[in-house]
Amino acid sequence: MNPRRLRAIIRRVVAEIRRDRPSLALLFIAPILVTGLLTFILREGSTPAVHVAVANAASGPAAVIGDRLASALSYAGMTVTQVADAGAARAMVRDGGATVAIVLPATMASPSASVTVITEGLDPSGDASQIGAVRGVLTDAVASSLGAVLPSVTHETIYGTPSDDPMAPFAPAIVAFFLYFFVYLLTGVSFLRERTGGTLERLMATPVSRGEVVAGYTLGFGVFATIQVAVLLAWALGTVHVPAVGPLPEFSLGLGIAVAGSPLIAFLVVLLLALGAVSLGIFLSTFARTELQVIQFIPVVLVPQFLLSGVLFSVSSLPSVLQPLVAIMPLGYAVDALRQVFIRGADLSVGALQADIAVLAVVAVLFAVVASWTIRRDVV
Amino acid sequence: MMNSSPRPPEPAPGDVAIRAAGLVKHFGELAAVDGITFDLAPGRIYGLLGPNGSGKTTLIRLLTGMTRATGGHAEVLGVRMPDRANLARIGYMTQGDGVYPALTVGENAEFFAAAYGVADRGAVQAALALVELADRRTALAGTLSGGQRRRLSLACALVHRPPVLFLDEPTVGVDPLLRVQFWGHFRSLVDAGATIVVSSHVMDEADRCDELLFIRAGRVIARGSGDGLRAEAGTPDLETAFLHFAGEREVAA
Repeated sequence: MNPRRLRAIIRRVVAEIRRDRPSLALLFIAPILVTGLLTFILREGSTPAVHVAVANAASGPAAVIGDRLASALSYAGMTVTQVADAGAARAMVRDGGATVAIVLPATMASPSASVTVITEGLDPSGDASQIGAVRGVLTDAVASSLGAVLPSVTHETIYGTPSDDPMAPFAPAIVAFFLYFFVYLLTGVSFLRERTGGTLERLMATPVSRGEVVAGYTLGFGVFATIQVAVLLAWALGTVHVPAVGPLPEFSLGLGIAVAGSPLIAFLVVLLLALGAVSLGIFLSTFARTELQVIQFIPVVLVPQFLLSGVLFSVSSLPSVLQPLVAIMPLGYAVDALRQVFIRGADLSVGALQADIAVLAVVAVLFAVVASWTIRRDVV
Repeated sequence: MMNSSPRPPEPAPGDVAIRAAGLVKHFGELAAVDGITFDLAPGRIYGLLGPNGSGKTTLIRLLTGMTRATGGHAEVLGVRMPDRANLARIGYMTQGDGVYPALTVGENAEFFAAAYGVADRGAVQAALALVELADRRTALAGTLSGGQRRRLSLACALVHRPPVLFLDEPTVGVDPLLRVQFWGHFRSLVDAGATIVVSSHVMDEADRCDELLFIRAGRVIARGSGDGLRAEAGTPDLETAFLHFAGEREVAA
């Protein structure tokens, strides 16, 4: 190794990166932002409000455990409503009157006795924190009332079935996120090439309007986004069994995730998200000079969306300071909409799904308008 | 050569194809174009001559409406720029090739024809024939040689047969033979009635223009035919004529 040549190469690399100011800034800002956000979420995550509906099937002296549990839960800072029976408890969770319900069995003494905890089921990590909040109090209340250990706890959900498939609750979020990610990357890099390759200047010297450019890009990439969505959904939802051939064992293709609702509605949701991602790519390419910079926007723009959209962390358990940010994350609306479709089986008559789709449509249009502003003739 | 002739020129009011009226363009402190005024009559080749950084490209971008003037205004064929609809009557060959490398020669020309609103399929064939790329129609633009890409770029700028053409350093990186061909094309377009503005920093190309505008530091320092400017400066070549006018200006300043 020739030290002169080595030094020349090192100096060139350092000089090049040193002059790429945006990359240099992101090199430090991006990891600080992402790790800071993650730490903040984990440390400061607020315990979501817990509203418990308690139904006690026991009668006679055992009925007192319901009252004890109710007061223990209240003492722990939760809102408690005692209801007549399991049916009423379920109804309360379904209608949003309660976030979690506890149904006590007629007798704790029977070996088959089981306490049922009911959650909504749309947001797995949110449900887990609800269960976590009531579990300790439940155990203590039962132990102190009966001097007995808590019988087994069964978790039920209003929508979907818990623990059936650990992937099921995450699938909608992950499908949405990766689609958003790849569509952004594809558009961002293509449009950057259009800007830096001189073809955008050329195009702007024709009577083509900015709206035509954005619409053309959106629909052009929309073709691929549509295919991508179709393939991804087919892969996520489908299962194709391949029989054993010769020495090859049989296997199945596809994630085989159950979808309670219509795959077509899921398709519509993801497509709207993808169209928004096209405009996001066009918009952000304005601020990039190199493809490296387009990629570096990912930790700044996409990772926070990943953290704040309920993909991994329940939106309800995020620090309250971050809640306004949560409300403006397009990905969050897509994740919620897909959970409504996948787990709840929502169709277009469900208000929550209508609201999500409306927001996604508005975001797609808004981003397209903003993107077209960046294609000004005098800034290319 | 072209199997259909260029569009007849559109009459411009007062026989002015291109007008610059006190054009000024500042980039921060720098005045890239510093008060340029001229009228260019139709049917001629005008050469914008000046060193790199003298403001030629900025001037062309002001005239085509690709950048907004800090002061003054530009008109092309009687229409104040920027004007999107008027771009259909203007051809603009940028300094970079500005063609899509992943598209074929034919697809590039067809794309720009569509962008200019040309429905006639023959126009693409005619433009490619003019730059002698008709036989490379299916080749990817990315696989072309530098000179071929430059020719494709020219074809894309005149596929809509514009009455006014702006060519920003069209012959940079073009071999001498091709350069001669380019000037032949320009002349034939002008003979058919077009008005062409060519920028160059190569003085030996200047004599092919009908009229020259010497540009320095964002101003027109002299205007006239090649012979006229040489005679006025009393120099044997345009290079020294340019230096003469540049020096004169400095003395005046």
